[in-house]
Amino acid sequence: MTFVNRLRNLVVPFIFGVGFLLFWEGAVRFFHLKPYFLAPPSKILSQFFDNASRIWEAASVSGMNALVGLIAGTVFGVAMSFILSRFRILSSLITPLAIALNAIPIFVLVAVLNNMYSITSEIPRRIMVSLVVYFIVLVNVAKGLTQVKTTHLEIMHSYAASDIEILRKVRVPNAVPYLFTALKISAPAAVITSFVSEYFGGSQNGLGSRITSNIANSKNAAAWAYVLGACLLGLAFYLVSVVLENVASRGAGATNNTNK
Amino acid sequence: MSAVHVAGVSKIFNQGTPKQVDALVDVNLTVEPGEFVSLIGPSGCGKSTLLRLIANLLEPTTGAVTVNGKTSAQSRLDQDYGMAFQQAGLFDWRSVAKNIELPLELKGWDKEKRAARAQEMLELVKLPEFADLMPWQLSGGMQQRIAIARALAAHPPLLLMDEPFGALDEMTREYMQGELLRICAETKTTVVFVTHSIPEAVYLSNRVVVMTPRPGRITEVVNVNLGANRSEDTRAADNFFSGITAVREALRGTHADHANAGAVRGVEDR
Repeated sequence: MTFVNRLRNLVVPFIFGVGFLLFWEGAVRFFHLKPYFLAPPSKILSQFFDNASRIWEAASVSGMNALVGLIAGTVFGVAMSFILSRFRILSSLITPLAIALNAIPIFVLVAVLNNMYSITSEIPRRIMVSLVVYFIVLVNVAKGLTQVKTTHLEIMHSYAASDIEILRKVRVPNAVPYLFTALKISAPAAVITSFVSEYFGGSQNGLGSRITSNIANSKNAAAWAYVLGACLLGLAFYLVSVVLENVASRGAGATNNTNK
Repeated sequence: MSAVHVAGVSKIFNQGTPKQVDALVDVNLTVEPGEFVSLIGPSGCGKSTLLRLIANLLEPTTGAVTVNGKTSAQSRLDQDYGMAFQQAGLFDWRSVAKNIELPLELKGWDKEKRAARAQEMLELVKLPEFADLMPWQLSGGMQQRIAIARALAAHPPLLLMDEPFGALDEMTREYMQGELLRICAETKTTVVFVTHSIPEAVYLSNRVVVMTPRPGRITEVVNVNLGANRSEDTRAADNFFSGITAVREALRGTHADHANAGAVRGVEDR
């Protein structure tokens, strides 16, 4: 029964996806849509394989920016959340700002950052990714460190535990799932920010800038092929974050929602 | 030396502000070693506050609390008591055994000694094969037994419990009451037990301390000794029912203070 359900869960979206591509292909051929209007999937796929090495190169540039930014943003975010949870007054000053910055598309700041570094530098893009990731991680991990069950705190106080012991044995373990939630949100956001920040000048070497340059040259199918590469890169980041979360929660045995 | 001595204690929250609450006024209570004392009363009568004052999780506004002849602050530092709450409060990221070991970790015990004690406690609460499970794999009653095992892991002379069976169903609850009596008799632990269930207080206690709200204070102490060998038959015995009646009347103030009768109308007669 569960196996059949599982199979259905896989097969139905697959059939839908294939059907959608066939419909797309058919529509382009039937209505004789011009290539600059909409390229057919077959053309996009052949462009993808023809340009595979160039797409891979561009993906590694964008991917590296996203990865470096993701790691740096996470490290700084976690560090700052520890400081905020220790000094509540700072938290009440910074948390609203962090939430506000989280809600607006701050990646446009990359235009300002670009002015600060040389034209070929990848640093502005990486800083931009770090900033986006930083706020997501900061808000979530700070929540995990501070929103601890009252009963847990009372129990620790009844054992005369010090603040450091409460941090190590209650707050940090409590924040771990929050960190992985933050990573699951940050990973795709890092990739998107990495692409978008390429639209604001600098070297034309990443997936984002290749998409625009191909569109500028009316190479529509090639642009789509790079879009496909971008999708795959985003997916890869997301899947890795999901796998990491599963590994971590299995280690902590915190799969309590699935197996009650 | 008494296990708990509360002398002239008052607790006022938000003193001097419009939100001032007189949680406890002039409370005096002495609990002897080995005694089982319940605190009962409607919401807002200060029973949980009194328990937290004994535990030194709160400081009294006036008066003094002594536990085992020491100040409550010192006895907390010495882990002279264990505590259990309505929520079992087990740590989801620790196995059952590691949960029980937590107070011992904080005392700086080494690993083998901790593991041996955890196993001993698991046998005490009759869950010896559950050491490596995670808390969420246990039922509510089992979780609460682990919480009791954790509270008693360091062999404290005093156990403080805040409605520990309040979230359990009636059947589990009665079973747990029997288990608690057995465990306390085996370990010779003194218990201060907060509840809002009259039968629970009567079944478990040597003395039931009846409290009323606004301001929170002790109105009466009912002696209910049902003997050392309480069993399921005790729940059908005459002295059980007379104990329940005595506590109920004390709560309603029929032979104490009629003015308070209105304030205690919300009491559950479970």
